[in-house]
Amino acid sequence: MKYSYIEPRKKSPLTPEAILVLTFFGIAFFLIFSTYGFLLFKEYRTADEIRTIYAKKSELKNSINEMKAAIAFIEKEANLANKIYTTNSVLKDSIANLFDLVPDRITLSKAVILKNGLILYGITPNKEIYSYMLEAPLRSIFSKTHTSFYQLDNGWLRFVSTNYLESDFEDFIHEN
Amino acid sequence: MKISFPRHLLYLTLFSIFMIVFAIWFATEKLIPLGREYKKERLTLKKEKIDLQRYQDFYDNTLSIYNQTKRKNRNIIEAFETPFDAQKFQKKYTKYFIELHLSKVVPDKKEKWYEIYEVNTTSKLKSPSGFYRFLDSLNKSDWIVGVTFPIRFVREGELIHSSFRMHIYKKNDEKNTTKSSESMQHKALKENSSS
Repeated sequence: MKYSYIEPRKKSPLTPEAILVLTFFGIAFFLIFSTYGFLLFKEYRTADEIRTIYAKKSELKNSINEMKAAIAFIEKEANLANKIYTTNSVLKDSIANLFDLVPDRITLSKAVILKNGLILYGITPNKEIYSYMLEAPLRSIFSKTHTSFYQLDNGWLRFVSTNYLESDFEDFIHEN
Repeated sequence: MKISFPRHLLYLTLFSIFMIVFAIWFATEKLIPLGREYKKERLTLKKEKIDLQRYQDFYDNTLSIYNQTKRKNRNIIEAFETPFDAQKFQKKYTKYFIELHLSKVVPDKKEKWYEIYEVNTTSKLKSPSGFYRFLDSLNKSDWIVGVTFPIRFVREGELIHSSFRMHIYKKNDEKNTTKSSESMQHKALKENSSS
């Protein structure tokens, strides 16, 4: 039995209003979630970049420290080398001065150059020549000077002159 | 008066309210804090980038000082690294003497940074000038050589017999800082060029 002359409409939950609301919220939530995802990604990238920077900084710090140590080591080497070169030059000058000091009339047979002194062995025609020509300049250089003479058969004198720069002269004589 | 409100519209309204509440909650609890966090991290990144640039500048500056120091002292560095060759030494410096003999002496104690060869040298020379030239040339030699006291000169007829000790300074392997820093520098340069 029929109550209506028209065919019944097919009912759907997706009414035009519902479609409108769903579309609105769909777009809104898509935007919200995509913003959230974008922020998550960017935050991860930033954190990762910060971690890389920390690692790089630490590496640079280590390299700088190593380089600083290497520079200090090279400078230490250079200082040591320059000190040695200076010592060699001073030594050369000292030896040159020593040989210049000895007059022609005195003949040296042996010379021992020590860190803080000088021992000379040689022969002299007489004590006066030795005193004026060698002992006087030696006394002006060294703080203590001691000379022993031994008579030779030909009338000349063999001498041993011990010269020292510091006050501990007695110890120096015993040591040498 | 009866208000007619279709049921589906009621559901739709309730759904909309729920969605709006959820959106507000999500935005305040998740999105905004995340945005703040990101902003903070961006600021940190900016600061760290400036700091890194400072480090990089300091590194470049130190590297240039290191290279300059190395260049300036190249001869000294090489001299410390060259192992002592007694035969070569003898060959090179015999010209200053009539005879030159070397004998290695084992040192009593090990030095901190440098191995020391003590060399007993006996030589004969006609005049001290040869010895002076020898001392001058030592400062330009392949090794770091220091002549030490005592130095003995003994006259033997027309010749002067000299004997003295030399310290040959050689870098101790345990303290090979320069080499390790070279490898470090090489590594750093490689990394810089690759980036």
